[in-house]
Amino acid sequence: MSGIAWALVALGIGVIVIRRRSIAVALVTAQAFVLAVAALAEGASADDVVAATALGVRGVVLAALFLFLVRRTRETRPVPVGVAPLARAAAAVTLALALIWLVPPFGLETHEAEQATLSLVALGLVTAAMRRATLFQVLGIVLVENGLALAALSLPGEPSLAIEIGVAVDLLLVALVAGVFHQRIFAEFGAGDTAALRSLRDS
Amino acid sequence: MTPREWLVTVVLVLPLVGAGAAGVVSRGWLCRVMTGIAVLTALAALTLAAVALLEPTHRELGRWIVVDPAGGIIVGVIACVGVASALVSPQFLSMRRGSLFQAGRADRIYWATFFAFWAVLLAVPLAGNLGAAWLAIEATTAASALLVGFSGRARALEAGWKYLILTSLGLGVALLGILMLESAAGGGGIEMLTWRTLPHLSLDSDVAVVAYVLLLAGLAAKIGWAPVHNWLPDAHSEAPAPVSALLSAALLPAVLLVAWRSQQALAPTIGVRTAGSVLVGFGLASLAVAVPFLWQSQAWKRLLAYSSLEHMGVIALGVGFGGTLALAGVAIHVVGHALAKALGFYAAIPLLAHEPRASGHGVGGIGTTEPALGVSLGVSLGALAGLPPSPLFVSEVLIVAGGFQVGRPWAAGAAAILLALGFLGLTHALIDTLIGKPRGRDRHPALGLRAVTTMTIVAVPLLLALTVAALWLPDSAIVQGLIRGLG
Repeated sequence: MSGIAWALVALGIGVIVIRRRSIAVALVTAQAFVLAVAALAEGASADDVVAATALGVRGVVLAALFLFLVRRTRETRPVPVGVAPLARAAAAVTLALALIWLVPPFGLETHEAEQATLSLVALGLVTAAMRRATLFQVLGIVLVENGLALAALSLPGEPSLAIEIGVAVDLLLVALVAGVFHQRIFAEFGAGDTAALRSLRDS
Repeated sequence: MTPREWLVTVVLVLPLVGAGAAGVVSRGWLCRVMTGIAVLTALAALTLAAVALLEPTHRELGRWIVVDPAGGIIVGVIACVGVASALVSPQFLSMRRGSLFQAGRADRIYWATFFAFWAVLLAVPLAGNLGAAWLAIEATTAASALLVGFSGRARALEAGWKYLILTSLGLGVALLGILMLESAAGGGGIEMLTWRTLPHLSLDSDVAVVAYVLLLAGLAAKIGWAPVHNWLPDAHSEAPAPVSALLSAALLPAVLLVAWRSQQALAPTIGVRTAGSVLVGFGLASLAVAVPFLWQSQAWKRLLAYSSLEHMGVIALGVGFGGTLALAGVAIHVVGHALAKALGFYAAIPLLAHEPRASGHGVGGIGTTEPALGVSLGVSLGALAGLPPSPLFVSEVLIVAGGFQVGRPWAAGAAAILLALGFLGLTHALIDTLIGKPRGRDRHPALGLRAVTTMTIVAVPLLLALTVAALWLPDSAIVQGLIRGLG
């Protein structure tokens, strides 16, 4: 599991630093497939197969949705980065290390799974906070959820299928609604750039 | 199934029927059918609320459902605000200009998402375990975000986007806390983390504290507690008025109930004082952040939104303090806030028709330009300010007294000062709104005023009855039920 955990983190760091939306979508989709394979490798119970299927289907549907959005909202020029890629990566690594330092061991199957879970949550939060492009902010949420999926797979005992499927459905709904907003923001402002969303400010 | 299980099923299924019917009912019948289903849903939910309050035995229905007095209060609030929002929605829809959706389908999508939101909202206080509660809360995000951005205007898109991203991230953090609890408990599925079993799990106290803080920090993003409240003023001010009422008066207390249940469930592991302190911290921070904005001239709905921040802070303080006085105050505050806040948002419909610039600016002199509307605005704002005999005055006194009762004099004293400052800010806004200098020049008829006037006539005696009830409540069985919780 440790190799898988750190592969997920490496893919997550890629989402933070790269510029192209389609590559970022490919990276989070790759994470979902790695998680699905990990769920299958965990054991041979029917619950494990259902969990792996839920993760795989979630990954495919999200990838299709995001790629559809990328095609529908082609940008004449990329959204300005705001914060430089290396600074974003540094912020994410710092937050991840802080979380790993602050949170005591909480009982996942391996210590690496705990560290990778916290790292992925940190990567997701930093992606959503520091990237201006609307699609990247949604990918930040997906990164967090992938970290939580890793934690769910590494829990002692059998997975909680009702909850895992519910979480996957909720994430798909949120992504779908985010897609509606992304398209409308693109139509309204000519770019999926959250820097345009600054009219509601109180001094 | 037992009669209680049937009732819960009806309460959860009826609004889903409404969501489905919105897609098939003919356009001419749409509003009538939707309001009819809304009335049926509210009747079923109010019956369930009465059962929960009057027969507080057999609280758990398996691992997934719970029907207890605290949940009963919230279910009752969601029922009342939901049906009132449904009744004023036709007026809102008849006045709307533009939408996030195609004109021909916008009304249907509004009703479908409205009922879907209402259904999952009703599921939140009935959820019997942490996992189910989280799922229901997360599900409210998708439906309500569409409603926040419903007008399709740039400002609504901004508000909806912030709401979607911030609350989803927050709930991700909350889920991390829940997974930590499950892991520390040895696994077995999140649905095993029922409100009854949680207090008896043998958890490492350090892990439990971190998990509790993550859980509450995540829920705080949804409740709108400072410092993770940024979406709240935007979403409440840009959403359609009936939806703003549901968000403020029903969604926030429903999620707050989950925070409260978590506190009660984890207090045996992490300590009553520690568990309460986190809530008191969020409460004081929310009051401190809200007060300066209550002193500024704000657009009407934005003023109500900052008032929500203040009142969620007050409720957090009451829950954090615990004890008979504070919890009696919380029960009164949740219901009184729902009545007054919902009325305020409904009054925004005729207000915006009467004075369109009120969508972005403070209003003045409504008591002279449209007296009936002025009365509605005055009742709402006066009650929210805590102007006697508002029930919120009594509940705030009870909560502050509750702080002293449980030995938290500094927090109670700070809360009293902040509440006094908030009171002054809102009272100034009240005077300005009613008898200040009229600011708008182009005034129009206040469309939808009759419905709001009727609601005001209903709300005033209810508010006064709450004030009277507040004097009796601390010694009641309801408050004893709230203190016992589900553990």
